[in-house]
Amino acid sequence: MSMVHIGMMQSSSKKVITKEEWEKKLSEVKIRKEDMNRLVMNFLVTEGYVEAAEKFQHESGTQPDIDLGTITDRMAVRKAVQCGQVEDAIEKVNDLNPEILDTNPQLFFHLQQQRLIELIRAGKVEEALEFAQEELAPRGEENHAFLEELERTVALLAFDDASTCPVKEVKELLDNAQRQKTASELNAAILTSQSHEKDPKLPSLLKMLIWAQNQLDEKASYPRINDLVNATLEEPVT
Amino acid sequence: MRGRFSPFDRSERSSSVMFRATLDEEEEDVEEEPTHLNTNTSSLYLVVSTDKLTARYTGDGRHGNDVGAIQANRPAPCRRLLYYFEMTVKDRGEKGYTAIGFTDEHFKNSRQPGWEVNSYGYHGDDGKLYHGQGRGEPYGQGFTTGDTVGAGINYAAQEIFFTRNGKVLSGVYKDVKSALYPTIGLHSPDEKVEVNFGQRKFVFDVETMMLEERGRRQRAVENMPLPPAASHSIVRAFLLHYGYHDTLTAFDAACGAASADGSVDSIALGEFLPKQEANGVNGTIVTNGTSDDDMYALDQRKMLRRLIRDGNVDGVIINLQEWYPQVKEEHYSTIIFLLRCQKFIELVRTGQVEDAVALARTELASFFGKCQDQDLLLHDCLALLAYERPQDSPMAYLLQFAQREVVADAVNAFVLDTNPSMACIGKDGKPPQSALEKLLRQLTACHVEKRFLNGGQGEVFRLHRILQGGKDGGW
Repeated sequence: MSMVHIGMMQSSSKKVITKEEWEKKLSEVKIRKEDMNRLVMNFLVTEGYVEAAEKFQHESGTQPDIDLGTITDRMAVRKAVQCGQVEDAIEKVNDLNPEILDTNPQLFFHLQQQRLIELIRAGKVEEALEFAQEELAPRGEENHAFLEELERTVALLAFDDASTCPVKEVKELLDNAQRQKTASELNAAILTSQSHEKDPKLPSLLKMLIWAQNQLDEKASYPRINDLVNATLEEPVT
Repeated sequence: MRGRFSPFDRSERSSSVMFRATLDEEEEDVEEEPTHLNTNTSSLYLVVSTDKLTARYTGDGRHGNDVGAIQANRPAPCRRLLYYFEMTVKDRGEKGYTAIGFTDEHFKNSRQPGWEVNSYGYHGDDGKLYHGQGRGEPYGQGFTTGDTVGAGINYAAQEIFFTRNGKVLSGVYKDVKSALYPTIGLHSPDEKVEVNFGQRKFVFDVETMMLEERGRRQRAVENMPLPPAASHSIVRAFLLHYGYHDTLTAFDAACGAASADGSVDSIALGEFLPKQEANGVNGTIVTNGTSDDDMYALDQRKMLRRLIRDGNVDGVIINLQEWYPQVKEEHYSTIIFLLRCQKFIELVRTGQVEDAVALARTELASFFGKCQDQDLLLHDCLALLAYERPQDSPMAYLLQFAQREVVADAVNAFVLDTNPSMACIGKDGKPPQSALEKLLRQLTACHVEKRFLNGGQGEVFRLHRILQGGKDGGW
């Protein structure tokens, strides 16, 4: 019994760290400027801000962790998908590295699906039907998930004006977000093929900060940062 | 050999991060692991093999104080996620009273692990878990000849766990925060066990357990909600803060172009405009979160940074004195000092050694002996003169771009410091920090504090390694 009691005592009495004490601890942390530069460079490169990355290399002397030339190609591919020119995007990816699509059937299917969506959007019904039956249906036979996706997409053909489609899951295929989704998937695959992480480090570190703060909350009351953008220290809750 | 001429040791050097481009000084944190049984702690009733990995009981096992217990030679290392070791029962002897567990430094070698305070034991005869008393709690199955059992500490979860023949049993809260030693105990005639501190492959797959633990943590981190475009705002504020003007222009242009396309990113950016900027700063529309303080003297800071980047130190000094006359004051002498050192470095770089010597005599000598950090930089600068090829000398770091960055950042901080609105807030003399820096400090401080509250146990969080390393640098 006494053991249980001690356990409860420990969890209920949180250590309180005042703002002053915490600020002292913060000032003892060593942060290297070059690490921050690298973090910013990694963000610019991964998100595809190629010009900004070039300028930053020049202004800060930070070396990018990837050949900047490849960003331009990657962005061209991304933009092609975002503009609905899927065939063009596929061609560009294959120029870049044919293995990307060869080794990634799901991505290839999503690109073909996007191509079908674009045909339907453009009102090319016959062409869309032909494409669906010849290119997509055989893949659907191999994979049940692909088949469901195909059926959902073909449903768009049932509406003269697809914007009147009552089924949300079908209608949203025509949204800009669908293009973004396909573009992001392709972007990530290209980055992975270049042995680069597909996500920038900064957002993960921000998530890690939120997580670390939540973890510490269980043991102590201390000044949190809730507003990440302005990085303002809150007063500790007591 | 250099050390003979240098009055400074390495630890002193590492303290002056502010003035100089950092040398690589990654701290060592390899902890020594237990490797064998510590025969100095052995009970009288044990015979230990020459490799100190096998123990045999030689007592009678008649009462509670003739246990043959023995610790490992070192405590379980704690700056990590997990520690684990195993024991195989070679012979259960008469009664199979073998035990595995952890004990603290007050361990008694005549008592089973788990019987005494601050100890944990998993016992073979009854399969019970003992913690700090002579009575055990139902825990797992017993173990006997041919069985391999293991004991581990999960520092992340603060739990002790045991395994039996490769299967993990449940974890128990580790209330003992002091150092714990791997310990085994034997207590009936002819018992014989062999321990494995990792010299051989473990029966239990500890690697997978570690991966799962990391995976759990990684998923928990990934599930944290992030305000959209937070990264964009933070990057933008960073570029403003340090006066990376060209980068900023290119970044804004790219974001603006994206908004013309109606892309998701820029829509999200618009939503997260802090209130005061909806109206724009100085009449211009800014695309995302920035404070007035970040905008302060941007044109001046941008120009100063460019001058330093191009090696034009005189230009910086002239501009600074014109724009900020207070730079001549004693309080700001460090900035002048840094700039003069940089000028010296630039002269050495371009091979104007005689001019460099003249500069040292007229403008640098007077700074000697004022403060240790300054002396360190001065010492290294002057040492450049000793080498025919300074770019191959130990001081070559001074000639790299990174040192210009150090000076440019210091000048930038000086200018930001002249911002009257910052002064009113009362920043008690701390250099102004970008949001990114504040966030990274907070991140590190949270990890340090949590580890401290766990008794200094668990992995050490190293931001530098995460940024340098692969996907997540172990995190």
